[in-house]
Amino acid sequence: MPLRSDATRWGSVARFFHWVMALAILFNGFFALWMDGLKPSLHKINMFALHKSIGLTVLALFLLRLAWRMADRRPPDEPGPRWQIWAAHTVHALLYVLIVAMPLTGWLYNSAHGFPLQYFKLFNLPALTAKNDGLSSLAGTVHEYLFWFLLLVLVAHAGAALKHHLIDRDNVLRRMLPFGRPRPSVAPTHDGDSR
Amino acid sequence: MKHLRLLGLALCVAAPFAAHAADYTVQPASTLGFTGTFQGATFDGSFKKFDAAISYDPANLAASKFDVTVDVASAATGDADRDQALPGSDFFDASKFPKAHFVTTGFSKDAAGNVVANGNLTLHGITKPVSLKVQFTPRAGGASLVVMTQLKRLDFGVGSGEYKDTGTIADDVKVNGNLLLLPK
Repeated sequence: MPLRSDATRWGSVARFFHWVMALAILFNGFFALWMDGLKPSLHKINMFALHKSIGLTVLALFLLRLAWRMADRRPPDEPGPRWQIWAAHTVHALLYVLIVAMPLTGWLYNSAHGFPLQYFKLFNLPALTAKNDGLSSLAGTVHEYLFWFLLLVLVAHAGAALKHHLIDRDNVLRRMLPFGRPRPSVAPTHDGDSR
Repeated sequence: MKHLRLLGLALCVAAPFAAHAADYTVQPASTLGFTGTFQGATFDGSFKKFDAAISYDPANLAASKFDVTVDVASAATGDADRDQALPGSDFFDASKFPKAHFVTTGFSKDAAGNVVANGNLTLHGITKPVSLKVQFTPRAGGASLVVMTQLKRLDFGVGSGEYKDTGTIADDVKVNGNLLLLPK
């Protein structure tokens, strides 16, 4: 599978970023809901630290992904109604904004609360702001509500992909699946694209 | 004979001074602080309530003595959760061991010539020898006394169960006292 995207499918680097980040984001979201209910303990503190480290990893992956996306060419949109193409792009833009906003509001919440920020027990990152109780509770609330919003946007994103895959039976999901190949029947015909 | 008598007189006058170092009272602006490490970042705290009986004479260390009693429940670190946890049974267990106590057993000098106060610290019901670095500076009308040391919290059982994990809460804790002294 080529590293770079081509006219019919996403390259392996783009797929790697997509699926690794998808797994990390979903895991971290539901992990957070679970850890929030733990009784106060060192275990809980360590679980929060893990959640923060995963969130920072997502942020770092996003920056790399953005850099890669600028260097990579992206496959053109699959044919479809204009409103669907517009909706898909809006959802993608929202996901990008939320992928950045989630770790940043978490980082802000952490800083304003006065907690240290240690990345997988390896090194510490600076606080974004001084201790500030009002800002802390605001950032915490925003962090949580953004998660529910993210979940909603993800349902739209994944729902649309599944609809394309299962009902339209086109290549929209296939060209992003880890080991997916375009359906020969509906793939745009390109010479030598029978790999 | 006359000389002997003078010597005797001199001894009588000097003896009480030789036996006693100057006693000081500790001014309210004095602080007793500590620095711990949590998740790779240091945090500072202090004990709001402590009593220190200080007798000190740099020229007569043998007669000097520190006797410090600390109300461990008065620890404040600027974080509500932490300040609630510290006096609890997982850390100081202040309901069982409300006071920490340090008393000197003697003074010595290190290789660099700095004064070291050797003593026993009782904390969380455990007594261990502890040495403090001492900086004594006479000031107008009194003196400042700065003491520093580094302890291992687990030597004193501070942090039980899962809180023994030094990967999250470091074992080493620095202690620093900054006392403003007035002669009694």
